[in-house]
Amino acid sequence: MQHEVFANTEDFGGPDIVAGTGRVSKPGVDAPYANYELGKPFDEMFAPDGQARAPYAAIDSRVSSLPLEELNRRQQAVEQSFLHQGITFTVYNDNQATERIIPTDLLPRIVTAREWDRIERGLTQRIHALNLFLRDIYNDGRVLKDGVIPRSMIYGSKHYRREMRGIPVPHGAYVNICGSDLIRNEAGDFVVLEDNLRVPSGVSYMLANRDVARRAFPAVFRSMGVRPIEHYPLELLATLRSLTPFHEDVSIAILTPGVFNSAYFEHAFLARQMGVELVEGRDLLINDNVVYTRTTSGLKRIDVIYRRIDDDFIDPLIFREDSALGVPGLFNAYRAGNVMIANALGTGVADDKAVYAYVPRLIRYYLAEEPILDNVETFLCREEKSLQHVLGNLDKLVVKAVGESGGYGMLIGPHASQKEREDFAEKIRADPENYIAQPTIQLSTAPTFVGNGIEARHVDLRPFILHGAETKLVPGALTRVALKRGSLVVNSSQGGGSKDTWVLSQ
Amino acid sequence: MLSRVADSLYWMSRYIERAEHTARLIAVKLESMVEQTPEDAAASWARVVESLTGAKSTPLHLDAFAITRHLAFDRDNDNSLITSLSLARDNARQVREALSKEVWENLNRLYLRLAPVTVDSIWVHTPARLFRESLEEMHALEAVTYSTLSHGEGWYFLELGRHIERVQQLGRLLDIHFTAAQSENVPKYFDWLVLLKFCTAFEPYTKQYTASIRPQKIAEFLLFDSEFPHSICFSVDRLTEALARVAPGAPPARRAAVERLAGRLKAAVDFGQVDELMSGGVAAFIADITKQCEQIHKALYSSYITYGAETVL
Repeated sequence: MQHEVFANTEDFGGPDIVAGTGRVSKPGVDAPYANYELGKPFDEMFAPDGQARAPYAAIDSRVSSLPLEELNRRQQAVEQSFLHQGITFTVYNDNQATERIIPTDLLPRIVTAREWDRIERGLTQRIHALNLFLRDIYNDGRVLKDGVIPRSMIYGSKHYRREMRGIPVPHGAYVNICGSDLIRNEAGDFVVLEDNLRVPSGVSYMLANRDVARRAFPAVFRSMGVRPIEHYPLELLATLRSLTPFHEDVSIAILTPGVFNSAYFEHAFLARQMGVELVEGRDLLINDNVVYTRTTSGLKRIDVIYRRIDDDFIDPLIFREDSALGVPGLFNAYRAGNVMIANALGTGVADDKAVYAYVPRLIRYYLAEEPILDNVETFLCREEKSLQHVLGNLDKLVVKAVGESGGYGMLIGPHASQKEREDFAEKIRADPENYIAQPTIQLSTAPTFVGNGIEARHVDLRPFILHGAETKLVPGALTRVALKRGSLVVNSSQGGGSKDTWVLSQ
Repeated sequence: MLSRVADSLYWMSRYIERAEHTARLIAVKLESMVEQTPEDAAASWARVVESLTGAKSTPLHLDAFAITRHLAFDRDNDNSLITSLSLARDNARQVREALSKEVWENLNRLYLRLAPVTVDSIWVHTPARLFRESLEEMHALEAVTYSTLSHGEGWYFLELGRHIERVQQLGRLLDIHFTAAQSENVPKYFDWLVLLKFCTAFEPYTKQYTASIRPQKIAEFLLFDSEFPHSICFSVDRLTEALARVAPGAPPARRAAVERLAGRLKAAVDFGQVDELMSGGVAAFIADITKQCEQIHKALYSSYITYGAETVL
């Protein structure tokens, strides 16, 4: 297995020496940072007094010594290379399909060893608690009997899968691949904004970005002791293997919705990196509760499926019958224990935005530990007192529909018009249980190359957690960037980009 | 190999071959038309249009500009160069994991380069150049495929697609020329020379038969020469070889269905005699070969790709 998939012919690297110019660039004053705004949010690179933080010193002196045209040239070469490699997603407009790349920023975001240690411990703790919670609600329902979380919130969730009740799940690991969204608050602490427990994507961009940043700043990269992430596909493979008792000759497949899915590149990438089959629903068939793929030489049995299709579409006999993406009979094969599916079905109930508010309590309940990573303060509109608080403070809050993702169904109070806020208030009153609200958290900002200089843009952090027989985090993450000045929306579907994340070894 | 993957590889390869053939016909035509009278050039363009699109008569037949637009850049033309490349790329994208990085990137780059081109933009200077450059890139793609992809089952599905398509395209081209030879609109010396160039066969032919251009020798060369890559015989040999290498684990009964047809085709080509064909039989012979290729295509699909689960469980 080789990992240099992103190696390519375009030259977007260049000579790179660590020794800088010796001058100190001031954000907001000197090029290339002339338009760099330091405000209330925590800035990843600059302390409030405008001094570059220690881990960024080498990067700072490097970019300060490079002409802007050179940065521009490297940036364009990166985009060209992504286009050629087909690292694109398709946007449909007026029947015209346009291929776009997800913009990648050259400048890395740095996470120190101490910060990473806390993130790693915090997310490990969290995924343990969430898996115990899932096992509980699909079996005895102890947490409900003890009144820790309201029954109606679970049984009323559109992501709760009754069909999963009592089904044994290997190692109790319902969530095998998790991509949690963290943000850094104004105090500089990482907090969890969202757990993505269904089919999180973005890991291929984490790996692609690494290749970009390493080539853009090779000497800086070497000098800083950045921890490697290239073994992610191996760890993923090991995690998937650990789900079945047959360790010899396990046959694994990634189930993709197909080439029109926006994450298709990632599905194909992971299949190639792990050396497993990439299958679509129409490649699979079920006989006698065993899953087979149709190959030129005959039918071949499949033992583990890493599915990148939502629950709703996975088996038209059990879930949405209009699904053309899924496999009729797959769920029964799963129930019979003849195939393992990662993630298990029904995990979405635990990343529901309302359940999110309870995660700290779940950690205390199942693990008898204090949460290592905090949540963002969250108001549940289902609770009368919170509802009144939310309606009275819409201009200060971000309101989100429970069970939506990708930045849809939300109101960003301070940025919305009076009319938008009033319309949204109506929606909340009509169905309070469907909404939660959070204070507008100023995501931290990080230096981002914008063409005529380097400016501050809001970022979040999505590390990927693997959980099978063991729990593993590859020391890296996808840092998503809101490319529009002042914007807090980092989702790629809404104008977000990404950048490499350097986790330092010390 | 997944049946769907085999299907996509096969079609990817067919579309690349079709694109290459289309680009070469246009390039040769654009280069040679200046040496012909307008009437001869028009008749020759009409044969190209017919062989590439099946259209027997075309209102475009007098205008090289409009024909080039239609054959190269018209996305509503199912057989245009850009449509073929686009379909090849769509198929490649669906089996990205079965291709090497180099194969995908070469194909993708070629498509991205040609996608925005219009006929107006190339017409100002040497319009043939774009097609010559595309051909070079397609040859590079072929080389990269040969040298970066494992020569396993997937590679043999690519071979199948390439050579079934080549037999069809070559067959149509020969059919049209030899049918015309029986009519009042007999192709001239220059047309036969152009036919050789359509098949990249001019130099190899002269090596074999000297520069004396005779229809009978051309037929013999393009039908039966076993060493020249753009002859029917050569493609049939590759095809039978590839058929023996795909679906190694398939049950003998299903393999036999395909291999029987392949054996029959090879026998027809190996024992064909050009003397017997020249009295008007070339078209009938080609029709037979083409039909046999279609049968092989169908058998390939029903044995290895679209077979029902009930036949194996």
